Amino acid sequence: MNYLHKLIPFLFGLMLMSLGCDTENLHERNVDPQSVSEMDLNYMFSAAELSIACNGGAGNNRYVNWRSNIGMCAGAIQQITTFGSISENGNYYRHQEDVAASFFVYSYNDQLKNLSEVIKQSGEVGYAEGRYKNTREASRILRAFSYFRLTDFYGAIPYFEANKGIEGNFFPTYDNQSIIYPHLLNELDEAVAGLSISNPDDGFKNADMLYQGDISKWKKFGNSLMLRYAMRVSNVEPGMAASYVSKAVASGVFESNDDNLWVPMTLQWLWANYNGLSRAFNPGDGGNECWLSETLVNFLKGSNPSAVADDDPRLMILSGGIARWNSGGWDPIDTDPLSQLGVPPGYYQSEVEAMLNKPGLIAEETFSRINYLMLDNDDPYMIMNHAEVEFLLAEALERGIGSGINGSAQSHYEAGVRSAMQMYMPYDPSLIVSDAAVDAYLATYPYGGGGVTGAESNLEMIGWQMWASKFFNWWEAWCDWRRMDFPPLIAHTSDVSPVTGGSIPVRLPYPSFEVATNSNFNQGDNNNYTSPVWWDGGSE
Amino acid sequence: MEKFLLISTICIIAFLPLKGQQTVSGKVTEQNENQAVPGVNVLIEGTKLGTVTNADGNYSLEVPVNGTLVFTFVGFRDQRINVGNRTIIDVALEPEIAELNEVVITALSIPRDVKALNYSVSEVSGENFTEARENNLANALTGRVAGVNVTNANGGPASSTRVIIRGNTALQGRNQPLYVVDGVPVLNNDFGQAGMWGGADMGDGMSSINPDDIESISVLKGANAAALYGARAANGVINVITKKGRDRKGIGVEFSSNYVFETVYDQRDYQRQYGQGDYVAADPLDPESPRIAVAPRTQAEAYGWGTNSWGPRLRSVDNAIQFDGVTRPYSDAGDNWNRFFQTGNTLTNTLVFTGGSEKQNFRFSISDLRNNDIIPNTGFNRQNLSFSTNAKFGEKLTLTAKVLYSREEANNRPFVSDSPGNAVLAMHYIPANINVYDYKGDPKKLGAIPPDAPESSLSIWGKSVGEEFQQVRNNWHQNPWWVANQYAIDDIKHRIITSGQLRYDFTDFLYAQGRIGLDWLARRESQLTPQGTGYLLSGSLYDYQKNISEINMDYLIGFIDSFGPISVNAFVGGNWMQRQAEEISIAGEGFNVPFFEALNNTTSRGWGYDQREEGINSLFGQAEIGYNGFLYLTASARNDWFSVLNPDYNSILYPSAGLSFVFSDIINTLPSWLSFGKLRGSWAQVGNVTVQPYQTNLTYELLGYDHDGYPLASFSTAQGTTGLIPNPELQPLLSTEVEFGIDVRFLDNRIGLDVTYYDQKSTDDIMQAQISRTSGFGSTNVNLGEMKNEGFEVLLNGTPFNGPFTWDISLNFARNTNEVVKLTEDVDELVIPQFGQPRNRNVLIKHIVGQPFGAITGRIQRVSADGQPVFFADGRMDATTEFVVIGNGNPDWTGGLNNALSWHNWNLSFLIDFKIGGDIISGTNMRMTAAGLHKQTLIGREGETPLTISGVTQTGTDSEGEPTFAPIEMTLTPAEAQAYWISSQSDNEGIADMYLYDASFAKLRQLTFGYGFPRKLLSKTPFVDLSLSFVGRNLFVLWKNIDNVDPESSYNNFNAQGIDYFSYPSVRSYGFNLKVGF
Repeated sequence: MNYLHKLIPFLFGLMLMSLGCDTENLHERNVDPQSVSEMDLNYMFSAAELSIACNGGAGNNRYVNWRSNIGMCAGAIQQITTFGSISENGNYYRHQEDVAASFFVYSYNDQLKNLSEVIKQSGEVGYAEGRYKNTREASRILRAFSYFRLTDFYGAIPYFEANKGIEGNFFPTYDNQSIIYPHLLNELDEAVAGLSISNPDDGFKNADMLYQGDISKWKKFGNSLMLRYAMRVSNVEPGMAASYVSKAVASGVFESNDDNLWVPMTLQWLWANYNGLSRAFNPGDGGNECWLSETLVNFLKGSNPSAVADDDPRLMILSGGIARWNSGGWDPIDTDPLSQLGVPPGYYQSEVEAMLNKPGLIAEETFSRINYLMLDNDDPYMIMNHAEVEFLLAEALERGIGSGINGSAQSHYEAGVRSAMQMYMPYDPSLIVSDAAVDAYLATYPYGGGGVTGAESNLEMIGWQMWASKFFNWWEAWCDWRRMDFPPLIAHTSDVSPVTGGSIPVRLPYPSFEVATNSNFNQGDNNNYTSPVWWDGGSE
Repeated sequence: MEKFLLISTICIIAFLPLKGQQTVSGKVTEQNENQAVPGVNVLIEGTKLGTVTNADGNYSLEVPVNGTLVFTFVGFRDQRINVGNRTIIDVALEPEIAELNEVVITALSIPRDVKALNYSVSEVSGENFTEARENNLANALTGRVAGVNVTNANGGPASSTRVIIRGNTALQGRNQPLYVVDGVPVLNNDFGQAGMWGGADMGDGMSSINPDDIESISVLKGANAAALYGARAANGVINVITKKGRDRKGIGVEFSSNYVFETVYDQRDYQRQYGQGDYVAADPLDPESPRIAVAPRTQAEAYGWGTNSWGPRLRSVDNAIQFDGVTRPYSDAGDNWNRFFQTGNTLTNTLVFTGGSEKQNFRFSISDLRNNDIIPNTGFNRQNLSFSTNAKFGEKLTLTAKVLYSREEANNRPFVSDSPGNAVLAMHYIPANINVYDYKGDPKKLGAIPPDAPESSLSIWGKSVGEEFQQVRNNWHQNPWWVANQYAIDDIKHRIITSGQLRYDFTDFLYAQGRIGLDWLARRESQLTPQGTGYLLSGSLYDYQKNISEINMDYLIGFIDSFGPISVNAFVGGNWMQRQAEEISIAGEGFNVPFFEALNNTTSRGWGYDQREEGINSLFGQAEIGYNGFLYLTASARNDWFSVLNPDYNSILYPSAGLSFVFSDIINTLPSWLSFGKLRGSWAQVGNVTVQPYQTNLTYELLGYDHDGYPLASFSTAQGTTGLIPNPELQPLLSTEVEFGIDVRFLDNRIGLDVTYYDQKSTDDIMQAQISRTSGFGSTNVNLGEMKNEGFEVLLNGTPFNGPFTWDISLNFARNTNEVVKLTEDVDELVIPQFGQPRNRNVLIKHIVGQPFGAITGRIQRVSADGQPVFFADGRMDATTEFVVIGNGNPDWTGGLNNALSWHNWNLSFLIDFKIGGDIISGTNMRMTAAGLHKQTLIGREGETPLTISGVTQTGTDSEGEPTFAPIEMTLTPAEAQAYWISSQSDNEGIADMYLYDASFAKLRQLTFGYGFPRKLLSKTPFVDLSLSFVGRNLFVLWKNIDNVDPESSYNNFNAQGIDYFSYPSVRSYGFNLKVGF
């Protein structure tokens, strides 16, 4: 006992020295063993590639497509019509905060965040300065693509100061669309020029899930985007449009469906790797109503609704028929092309029942649905296709925009229709359309012959076909329609409180969170669904 | 040295040759009742010789002539009696009433004389927690302590609690106090809260503690009281002291049993005149035809309108079809809450053994709590085990050790807030003509589509047999039976809080002590969204395992002595804290073998891993210098070094100083009715670091998944859409507080008054500021601003009657005013991080300069330049685009009134607590208005009070862009009235202040009524002690200003207070408490 008593003061002395002074150990505690201070930029690039489709890189691949692509655009553009669920916002021109905000939030915080970092760190004073050259140029193309979409939906957006939070810019200022557009077109131009097979690969091939490092396809994609966005300003800046259309064509745009840009999807984790668009419709998952709109079905059924011969070959590709579809499986009721029926856009179900004289109709057993073969969770996600390029070239020739475009407006129109009809095999090999079927369709509705309605101008025919070719890409279909005003959609809504006064929305309002948070927000006058953006003839 | 001599002298005197021995015997009784008191220690003063009274209160002892006997018994005053030459000494023990030289346990478990304290400390004794019980200990503090504001996040039987002491000091973090058990800080982690998109309250740390183990809880309210805890003390300290063993003869056994019933406290008052339905065009082919209310005419309509109560008057049609295709009478179907919510119950049994000798004693307790809650299959079970011991080795070395173990199991924690999985929300929405029994579906699998459902119904529902039987075309609106019976959201938590302390008294004035405390917990959580659930037909299973530990090691070297009139009590010491957390999770979606809900059967799996480590090193010291027992000066200092901040900014010194002056001891001219008076004042600085580990350095990491073999990466702290930008220059928050107080007692201490005023200022607050998403990130940590809290606390207690009938009354109340003084140079408004926005999306909770913490902002109706309200042409209200301040969720006044009455063996006590001021925004009332259930929606319906509006409507803009208006005055048609009500709460044009209510209330929080059997009656039984009482908690809302929901409704315990959105309903509990001592 005695010696213990002597030991204790000594032990206390030891504690005194050891506690409270060991700062070295303390600082080491704040090093996260799960992270690094420099990252292979290709991995961030891959995350951005996944995210341009479905935001899988942010771990929620359904949110944005569901809310904005389906929730607003698919209904507004009259390809999908629903009585309920999230997509009713587009059908009845209603406001829902997430529908308006989702694209804004995810673009800046997912793909643009990662792409900006790749570009920053591979650029001047970045930790990977001078390396990852092709990854960098491809990132610039994807960044431009994402910014184009943002400004197309919202008009003025933070651009020059955006995505610089790390540098301390927390509240970026807004830039007008008329300033952003030329800058982005120039970005595309420089990026395409900068891509080169002679650049060191630096892992680009292995990181590129879109084109597997194929530089020529990347260049074509960059130029095709340049063509799309040059045409988008054609009503307000004809000179800029002409110069970039010529540049794009000279450098080379998409030539066939082989060039189409798809993002592959896999069945790993449903929130990241699945196709989020499919998930939004899947009865086992999102379960959004998926009835085709009357406008779309009528177009696909051709001039004579009671004949099959004049139908669009896509009728029974886009429509899987009238069918019950629940988690138990797809159970067709009627796959006869003649029975296909779309939902009139904008009406309440009771009104539709009266119009069809079918009181108490069961919508699930009455209307055509999106083909379930296109809605597998591992179906790839299409970003851009060859058909669009051909239609844009046909339009450019019709309107005399740019120079150096080979062929005639008709040849490009026909090539566009062919590619549009024959591009669905990646969803399912059975979704094939023969050349003969395309030829027959072109013969039934020859270019210059007034189209399905019989009274269409050539530009209007291009407009209808462009519209039909963008099934699933309702975002772009909506932009095309806003620019071209074709096809001439008939606005209707039975809703008592439309946010647009009854017209089809022409822009998205800003997220109220942004309005409340960013003191540099100055777009109060354009914070609505009704003022057109700059390229649509609006004030900005 | 003097002291040493003194003690030696006493010892020598005590052991002087004894003059002679004599046998003394007698009986010990209670003064008031004349009843025998068994177990009383009878000791010969100055020796260790003694005995204990037997069951009849009798004792017998050999005592030296002229010796002194000391009678001690807990709860009674010690009595010293000179034996003289008496041989029979009967003693009547006087119950102990508050003594002036009380000792309270202060920071670091240092016992200090109340007289010397220069700040306010409130102590609540353990019995307040054991009669009428709360599953979460912190809830039991409600209304007990002035300045302590307790809110139970309404999230079910195992939910967490928000305790705010003297207002919010930090703009972020949880503003929760530090919990300390026997001197060692313990974890009070939050395991998950509901947010705007729903979720469940996964509980916090304070549900682990067994109230039976608590001797007392002292609340160190201000910076001054808590300064010795440095950076962890900014929000005050809740200091829990556990019960110890005591020396006694034999082993004492106590058994208590508490059984209470729980019933839903339904505060709804919805309209029951109109049933399910909606307004449709009278002529469907003519959208312009007048819109009239109709009951569902088809199954599809009934399914579409499942939550709409906009139909015609009940019984105006005989029958109407319902979502399941069955036509039923269109009449009031009766109250559904009684059908769905059950009577819950909680049974708690506790067994305690105590014993020991003077050298060593122990206390051992086991406790078992079983709760079945008001929602079927929801409940909470807890087993506690505690063991503590004190041992003295010789004269100088004392060992104290303790282990608290708890096992907590929560079953089916209820989902609250937004709808997925929220049964309560579904129960609110049911139209008056619907019977919730008709939602049951398959009787063998409640809430599921029955096997005999017709094919046409399956088409309408888009589902198969066995999947969720949904009552409305909304995949996110769950069937309540399905939620209660098919969902499983369970967790089990094992927790060990253990500590050991060695104290060595070098001399009687110098001591040293060392202490190690460990708090370790392992929590396993499993959330099953069953296969067939509307929004996730595939089903999912999410499992995680989380281990957290915190180790604190501290030592002290202390000095206690007096030099003439000067007394000194001082110590220096250090603390080393390390906290580790590790979490591994697996999320599986879809099941290969249908309805076999096991992790290994999931089709798609993702996993997550998280690991954090942090530490604080500290050195501290305190000195109290007293003069003649009436003037005390105390100063302390603590320096903390943090791991989570960068080395340049991570060392902070926290000083404090204060004075206490017992003026009644020296002023002789005081009137006789003033029995005690003390003035106190102090100043202190404490800190707070609301930064997570690794948040100060920019890093990258691989995402937890690849894509098709492609590795994916992003910023470490910024994955997803709300990333956080690290700030390497963060500094800790500094809170400076000045406190003054007076403590006076009158009429021989029958009346006491304690008033405290404080003024607290926080600067350099670390806030996760919400930034524009266009920066690429959602937030950044910044040091910003300044916030002030100012207020006072009053504790008034008195004993109007004392004697056979005793009445103790105690009133406490506090007022706190809070102001955000500054944010950053450029920013005057910031949205509160985390859940600053409720599901309705028409309200944002913000910090605004010049406003109190957490202002509620929302849109209000536009007003024209001349002050006229602006309407749309169809009568709807036109809302401003801007969000303006409409209120705030902080109460102005909080308090409680305790009454304890006793008459012979009967006792009655009740606690009324109240909050006055503060606002609540009711998402529930918004949604119920939209659904047509809120009573205000009667206005404007056919045959009811008409809805008329009067104001102006905008006609356009003038040449300068200013709006032009025309008068509007109209009576709305029923369909227009419906649009008016729906738009009044919508996310883009809602008038938020229509749904803002004064959150003031008073509640009868607790009532106990008991009878203690007289010892005389028990003398023939094995029992020493037996009492039985009726107990009740949360019995009545005495007064409130909000309809349909509880004024305390909140769905989480975060800073965005003042929001109600389909939280768990209030629960009343009442039952019996039995206590037996052997």
